[in-house]
Amino acid sequence: MSIIAIIDDDPDILDASGLVLSAKGHQIITATNPDDGYKIVKENSPDLIILDVMMNEPDDGFFLAQKFRREKITTPIIMYTSISKASGMDYGVNELVPVDEFVEKPISPEQLIEKVDKLLHKKEAK
Amino acid sequence: MISLVPSWANRYADYWDTIKERNLWLIKLRYGAVVMLTGFLISSKLILHLSFNKTQFAALILINLIILIYNLLLYRLSKFIKTIPGHFNPLHFSLLQMILDLTALGLIVYYTGSIETPLIMFFVFHMIIGSLILPGTVIYSIAGIIVFIINILIFSEYFLIIPHQPISGLLPNPLYTNIKFIAAYDVAFIFVMFVSVFLANKIANQLYKIEQQLIESLDKLNEAETEKQKYIIGIVHEIKTPLAAVHSYLDIVLKKFLGQLNSKVEERLNRARIRSSEAIDMINDVLKVSKLRLLDEIANDEVELSEVIVKIVKKQTINLRAKHIMLNFFDGRTFKKKIKGDKFLLEIAFSNLIGNAVKYVGTNGLIELDLVDNENEIEIEFADSGIGIPAEELDKIFMDFFRASNIKDRSYEGTGLGLSIVKQIIERHKGNIFVESPSKLALPGRPGASFKLKLPYIN
Repeated sequence: MSIIAIIDDDPDILDASGLVLSAKGHQIITATNPDDGYKIVKENSPDLIILDVMMNEPDDGFFLAQKFRREKITTPIIMYTSISKASGMDYGVNELVPVDEFVEKPISPEQLIEKVDKLLHKKEAK
Repeated sequence: MISLVPSWANRYADYWDTIKERNLWLIKLRYGAVVMLTGFLISSKLILHLSFNKTQFAALILINLIILIYNLLLYRLSKFIKTIPGHFNPLHFSLLQMILDLTALGLIVYYTGSIETPLIMFFVFHMIIGSLILPGTVIYSIAGIIVFIINILIFSEYFLIIPHQPISGLLPNPLYTNIKFIAAYDVAFIFVMFVSVFLANKIANQLYKIEQQLIESLDKLNEAETEKQKYIIGIVHEIKTPLAAVHSYLDIVLKKFLGQLNSKVEERLNRARIRSSEAIDMINDVLKVSKLRLLDEIANDEVELSEVIVKIVKKQTINLRAKHIMLNFFDGRTFKKKIKGDKFLLEIAFSNLIGNAVKYVGTNGLIELDLVDNENEIEIEFADSGIGIPAEELDKIFMDFFRASNIKDRSYEGTGLGLSIVKQIIERHKGNIFVESPSKLALPGRPGASFKLKLPYIN
């Protein structure tokens, strides 16, 4: 069992992603804005962070990810985006933004589980 | 120092391009002048039975030769001129050409009889060309200098200070000593010279202003287009957010995360999921189109197209096997060069085209991909033996949201944006795309479609 932090301003996405991952036996902690997100990560040191790219402001998610990395929090990050890949604007993972994986919303339960497992395994391997 | 750039020329890049173009144009025109002068010498002797003395003949031949030589040199020079402020620029080059030409013309005028020669009219022609390039002050000064020099010439001949060089046989009586003729001619000459400059300058000025207004309007239109695309992206994104949530919930319910479903409910929820998928696909396509239109620059990767094709075909393997589709890929290129472009965008375009072929070819269909090339470009053909495209709709096939009539009434899903995206991507790579139906793989009842696209090679 792992602790997964989901930070997204859309409560329904939090609920849906939370349902899928808790069904897989993970413990879910959530936040709906970058400040709370920062707090729950600091307090609970989750094994994985799922972060929405746009919260109150566009790129909120990027800044939060950068803040984590600056503070040497190396927890793997999955970033939820809604327009990146679909629109041909492929953000280079690790070049611009220090995250491990981008996924485009809506993400199917199978895909979400697969990506989460992959990153958790990678973390264990380290 | 007097600026050579006219005050109305405030869009520098365009102005310099025009000047460069006109400079080359003058060089081309000058070859014509050499031919004309040669023609004038021959025809005046053979047809009009006019005669030149030895000095005149030698001088005119020599001047003609010098014009030819300096024109060749000017052509060489034109390739090295850059628009660096403070350096020898295209305008200095224009001025240099003008000075050389006017000197040559002055000499030709002198050796064909000064005031008696019809060639004096060519000065007016030079003034008009000059007015299109140079600012008023410069061209008025040049007109003044010409008038001054011509007057010195005419009056030096009148007072017999320098020898008169008439074309014998042209006039019954010499006019260069006729003061009334000289006065009337001179006044008319001066008048025509300055009025030509005045008019040509004014017209050039107005034309330039109109051009500028047009460019400004175009800029505004482009700005409005950008705003429109940003607006679309904003709106569509707002619609996608709740839809993504709906879709996620449907997935969770359908994957039984919340318990078993009764089959009637499940069936309807499955339909709901399919419909929300359609909406999301449409939204993603609209976002792609808008993002593409907003993209100022595309990446500049070196792309090997055959690799792109192989990668996409591999992704389609499952579909190809399931539908028993035979896909052949022929690489008939001789040069096999890479192209410069955005690999990601090209993959989108090619995967759209191959995806379409797989979608519309039907079970047991044929798909053929051909690559051919020449030194400058590569041609890729995507042909299939599918349902084809009705002839009258071929020219609409690349339009936004257009879907051919023969796929609307069947259960082919699609947004009608795919080919519009393909066309935009190809055009961003300075390429062209054409469609044909029936294709070369046409079978009875299966006309098929063929998309041919050309992309330039790196040179």
